[in-house]
Amino acid sequence: MLPTRMLPNRSRTSVLVFLLPPLLLYCAAVLFPILQSLFLSFFSWNGISDMEFVGLANYARMFTKDDVFWRAFLNALLYLAICLVLQLGGALVVASLLTSLRRGRELIKTLYLLPAVISTVAIAFLFVRIYSLEPVGLLNQLLQSIGLGSLERPWLSDVNTVLAAVSAPEGWRFTGLYMLIIYAALLAVPKELEEAAVLDGASRWTLFTKIRFPYIRPVWITTTIMATTYGLRGFDIPYLMTNGGPGQSSELLTTYMYKTAFTSTDFGYASTISVFIVVECLVAVGLILFLLKRKSDA
Amino acid sequence: MITQTAPPTPPAAAVPPKPPAKRRRRPDLFRTLSRVLIMLIMIVQVYPLAWLFLTSLRTEHDFATGDPFALPGALTWENYARAFETGDLGRNILNSFVVTMGANILIVLLGMMAAYAIQVLGFRLSKLVRGLFLVGIIVPVQIALVPLFIDYAAVNLLDTYQSMIIPLAGFSLPMSVYLFCSFYEYIPKETYEAASLDGAGPYRIFGLITLPLSLNTVVTVVLVNSIFIWNDFIFANTFVLSEELKTIPLGLQNYIGAMGKVDWTATFAAVCVTITPLLLVFLVLNKAMIQGLESGATKG
Repeated sequence: MLPTRMLPNRSRTSVLVFLLPPLLLYCAAVLFPILQSLFLSFFSWNGISDMEFVGLANYARMFTKDDVFWRAFLNALLYLAICLVLQLGGALVVASLLTSLRRGRELIKTLYLLPAVISTVAIAFLFVRIYSLEPVGLLNQLLQSIGLGSLERPWLSDVNTVLAAVSAPEGWRFTGLYMLIIYAALLAVPKELEEAAVLDGASRWTLFTKIRFPYIRPVWITTTIMATTYGLRGFDIPYLMTNGGPGQSSELLTTYMYKTAFTSTDFGYASTISVFIVVECLVAVGLILFLLKRKSDA
Repeated sequence: MITQTAPPTPPAAAVPPKPPAKRRRRPDLFRTLSRVLIMLIMIVQVYPLAWLFLTSLRTEHDFATGDPFALPGALTWENYARAFETGDLGRNILNSFVVTMGANILIVLLGMMAAYAIQVLGFRLSKLVRGLFLVGIIVPVQIALVPLFIDYAAVNLLDTYQSMIIPLAGFSLPMSVYLFCSFYEYIPKETYEAASLDGAGPYRIFGLITLPLSLNTVVTVVLVNSIFIWNDFIFANTFVLSEELKTIPLGLQNYIGAMGKVDWTATFAAVCVTITPLLLVFLVLNKAMIQGLESGATKG
C-alpha cells in the first residue's frame, strides 16, 4: 500500500520533527526496556556486584527446576480464565439484556462502569472486608442468611478459594467496561436484518447466534484481546490482597516476577520471567486471532 | 416507540427459546426476567461501593460488632477526621494530580504529533511505526519495571515525578496515536490542499488546522487515560519511596498499620476521599467518557 500523504509539499525534516519526540518517549519507556529485559535475562545480577553472563542458565532454571514458576503460570491461567468468564461472559449477557430495555439505559451504563474508575488499592481494601470472617464480612453474612452457612470461610486464607477470591475483584471491576463496548456494537447491528429474521420466525437464540453475534464478531475479537492482555498483566489486586499467599496459592507470574526482582533482587532471573510474560502475551493474542478469525471464515 | 406488539429492538437471547404455544406472552416474560437479572447484576456492581461509603460513616464499635448489611446505627464524621490525621491525603491528591496532568500533556501532544506524521504527512515506513505502537498495547507494563528501575538508578531519576510520568505516558501513547490517526483520516484532503496553496507549511497547518480540529479527540484521550493514570499503583510503588511524592494509591497503603492492624472505618473514609475527584469527573462527564471508552476499543 502506498503511504497516505495528505500534504503535497512537506519536507523530510518536518516528518522527523513530528515523529521523533513521540518515538523517543515510546522507545525509552516501552521498546528499549523490552530489549533490555531480553538482554538481562542472559545474566545473573543482583544490582550491586558485577553482571555475570550465564547464557541460557536462567531459562533452564525457569523451565526445569523452578516449581514456583510453574505454579505461578498455572495460577495465572486460572486467574485469566476467571476474569474472562466474568468480564466477557458477564458483559455479553448484560449488553444483550440492555438492548431490550426501553429506558434507563444511560443510568445503568454509568452505574455498571463505576467500579472501573476506582483504584485497585481501594478495591483491594474493599474486598478484604467483603471476604473477611472475623468480623463477619458481606460474603459470609450473605451465605449465612440464605442458609449456606456451611460454606462460610476465610476466603483469602483458604488455599482452595484464595485464587478465585483474588480473581473475582479484577473481573468485577472491568465487566462494565466490556459491557459498554459490546453494547455499542450490538446497537450497530442493522435493524432490518433483525426484523427480517424475526419475520422468518427466528427464535431469540437463533437471532443471537446467526445475526447478532456474527455481526459483532470484529468487536468481540478486539474485546477478547483487550480482556486477555489485561488479565495476563493482572498484578495489583493479588499483590495487595494476599501478596501471592498463603504459600504460593495465589502467586501469579507477575507477582512472582516482581518479588524476584525487588525482594530477592535477582534482576537477571526476574527479566527471564518478564521475557516469558511477553512471549505469553504475544502467543495469546496470536492464538485468539487465529481461532476467532478462522471460525468466521468457516 | 411504545407499542406492545412490535418492540423496536427485539431483545437478544440469553434465555433459551420457549415452545411456540407461549409465543404471545413471551415478550413480557422475557422483559421481566431480563429486568430482574439486570437489577441483580447492578446490585452486585454498585452495592459494594455504597457499602464502602456507609461504612466510612459508621462508628468503629458498630463496624466491629454489627451486621455488615445493616444500616449504620449512628452516623459519624469522626472517621474522616482520623483519616486526615493518619495520612497526608491532600498531598497524595496533589501528587496524583501532578502525575496525571504531566502524563496527559505528553500523551496528547506526542500522540497528536505522531498521528500527524503518520496520517497526514506520510512517510515510507509509516506502517512499520504503526505496528511498533501495537507492541505497547499488547505487552504488560510489568516488563518495564526492572529495566526502568536500573536505568533510573543510573541517571538519578528514581523517586521523582518523572519516574512515574515517563512509563505511564509511554504505555498510553499507542492508544492515543491510534485514536488521533483514526480521527485525522476523516479530515478531508481538500482542507490541507487549500491551506497548502495559501502557502502554509506543515507546522502552520498543524497549529492552525489539525490541532484545533482535534479538540474532541483530546477530550476522549484525556478522559480514558486519566482513569488508568490516576489509579496507577505499580509504577508508583516501584519507583517512589519518599512520603512527599506518594500518589493516592500509595498513600492509601499507609493506612495498613504496623502488625497489619487496620483502622477500617478511617481507611474507608480515606478511600472515599480519594475516589471522590475522579468519581465526580466521571459522573459529570460520563457521556463523553463512555463514548471515549467505546471508541478506544473499536477504533484502536
